[in-house]
Amino acid sequence: MDRRKLRELSFFLSPMLLMVFLFYLIPLVMTVYISMTRMRNWNVERYLTDFVGLYNYHRLFYMFQHDPTFKAVIMTTIIFVGITLIINVFGGLALALATFFIDEKSASFYRLLWLLPRMSPIAVYSLVWYYFFHGSEIGTLNSFLMHLGLISQPIPWGQIVPWGAWSVIIFVNGLVGVSFGMVVFTSALNQIPKELVIAARVDGASSWQISRRILIPMMRWHLLYVLTWQFLSLLTTYPHLFLLVEWDLVNRDYGTTLALYVFNTAFGRGEQDQGLAAAAAVILSVIGIIGGFVTLKVLKFERMMKKPRGDF
Amino acid sequence: MRDVETRPKKYGWIVILALLLASLPLITAFSLLILSSFSTHMVTDLSPGSLHPTLENWINLFHGKIATTGGIRVNIWRIALNTLIVALGVSGVVTGISALAGYSLSRIDFKGRKSMMVLLLLLHAFPGVALIVGVYLLYRLTFPVNTTFVGLYSFVYVILARAALEIPMSTWLMKGFFDTIPWEFEWSGIIDGASRITVWRKIMLPLIKPGILAVALFSFLAGWQDIIYVRTFLIDPTLATFIEANIEAEYSHMPLIAAAGTFYLLPTIIFFVTAQQILLQGYSGGIKG
Repeated sequence: MDRRKLRELSFFLSPMLLMVFLFYLIPLVMTVYISMTRMRNWNVERYLTDFVGLYNYHRLFYMFQHDPTFKAVIMTTIIFVGITLIINVFGGLALALATFFIDEKSASFYRLLWLLPRMSPIAVYSLVWYYFFHGSEIGTLNSFLMHLGLISQPIPWGQIVPWGAWSVIIFVNGLVGVSFGMVVFTSALNQIPKELVIAARVDGASSWQISRRILIPMMRWHLLYVLTWQFLSLLTTYPHLFLLVEWDLVNRDYGTTLALYVFNTAFGRGEQDQGLAAAAAVILSVIGIIGGFVTLKVLKFERMMKKPRGDF
Repeated sequence: MRDVETRPKKYGWIVILALLLASLPLITAFSLLILSSFSTHMVTDLSPGSLHPTLENWINLFHGKIATTGGIRVNIWRIALNTLIVALGVSGVVTGISALAGYSLSRIDFKGRKSMMVLLLLLHAFPGVALIVGVYLLYRLTFPVNTTFVGLYSFVYVILARAALEIPMSTWLMKGFFDTIPWEFEWSGIIDGASRITVWRKIMLPLIKPGILAVALFSFLAGWQDIIYVRTFLIDPTLATFIEANIEAEYSHMPLIAAAGTFYLLPTIIFFVTAQQILLQGYSGGIKG
């Protein structure tokens, strides 16, 4: 590589690499380090050098066996990720196929509408569902059901453990997640040659048959992509859960996934325990990194990376 | 692509109706929030009796009178400005850095290019919460001693830290936009001996204006919607932390919080009305190889 090319490359790439170094690499090393200290309440002066080895990992393992709160968090994580993933993949597929078969104007309207949960400010989105599922009679759901005479007393939906709390967090996050599948599948559908659909139509196939026999089989790669990517994102994201728990809309133990548990243990109210939080975060990262590599291998991403055209 | 003309018309209506039914909770929930902001009590259902129209919530909000009784005052415009600064900052940093990196990944062949692209994909999937603990320690260790810079420092830090989350995906998105520009456009410039930097600035940037706009818009919304990073790093309040704090406060008047929420939602709605095509297309651009 000659000097001029090196200079040009560093001009283009160094800002990005600097950001990756500052906000990914250093924090990762620091998280691993904190997980081996007794850090609590962000008392950096006192605990930064209080090295305790694998103590926090032992604590996590002990809690996993004996602490009912932590067991609830693990259980919630498994149920939440599993069910929301299914809703996201099939909901996204259903939306993409449904908007494929209707006229362009209505299709755009519905696609935009379903992008709204992802695009809204997280505080507003949480606020909307806070009113909707509120445990008193001002809650929309309670008000509707009482008008219809189905219930006589308002029900605190999110406080019914475990399934009430689980249903609320799955519903709220499910609506955010479907748009990812919808967008990916829509762009996949647009790349399928039009002739295939026309030929099937001429042969008298129904929309359902076209979907099952032609469109879905041709989107296998995209299904896998949405499935694996959404799995990782559900496992590791927590912003759309944070306020629901903070505002006591859902039960604390059965509304908290592992990722949110890490955040609340490190930054939540009351006693904070960053050592423990960092240990749990490291475990999440390991799962995330392994999952990421498996995804790349399964999806054969490398094959899609072509050499740039015309470079010399 | 749309479905072809030979299909029977009536089935289209069934699909549209089914979609409407599925979207009903979403439509109801958002419209009730907006309606409640114009009512003296929370609107709990769509029956006409529960709406008591008033503009009081909005007037009180803009005057910063957030409590129905007592003299608690906030400057809502200052809070909105803080939110805007963060969003614009994130947008600027992300757009600039990804326009640079995206070009070189799209056009220049160098050792390690492939692994860099894989790395960016992995970083996109990386658990943000694992990072935020470390990012906070870095924040604490670099915190300025001089108290006059504390406010400014927290703004700069939250913008950079939040932007870092968006950079992997935006770089891929930007690379995708550069890929669509025919190579011949730069050819003449390079033949004439211009450096890649000049070619990028003079020829390529004007050609990918739509891509720049899309990335800028997406990262603006990312900064605007954020709550986790602003509440962790920023000392000044934003609209997100304002709503977070006031839901639980004893004195809070729910319809007024609904007005604050609607106010906070406005930019999103404006983008939805004016930039539909960018929103719908931009999202899919990032996943192509």
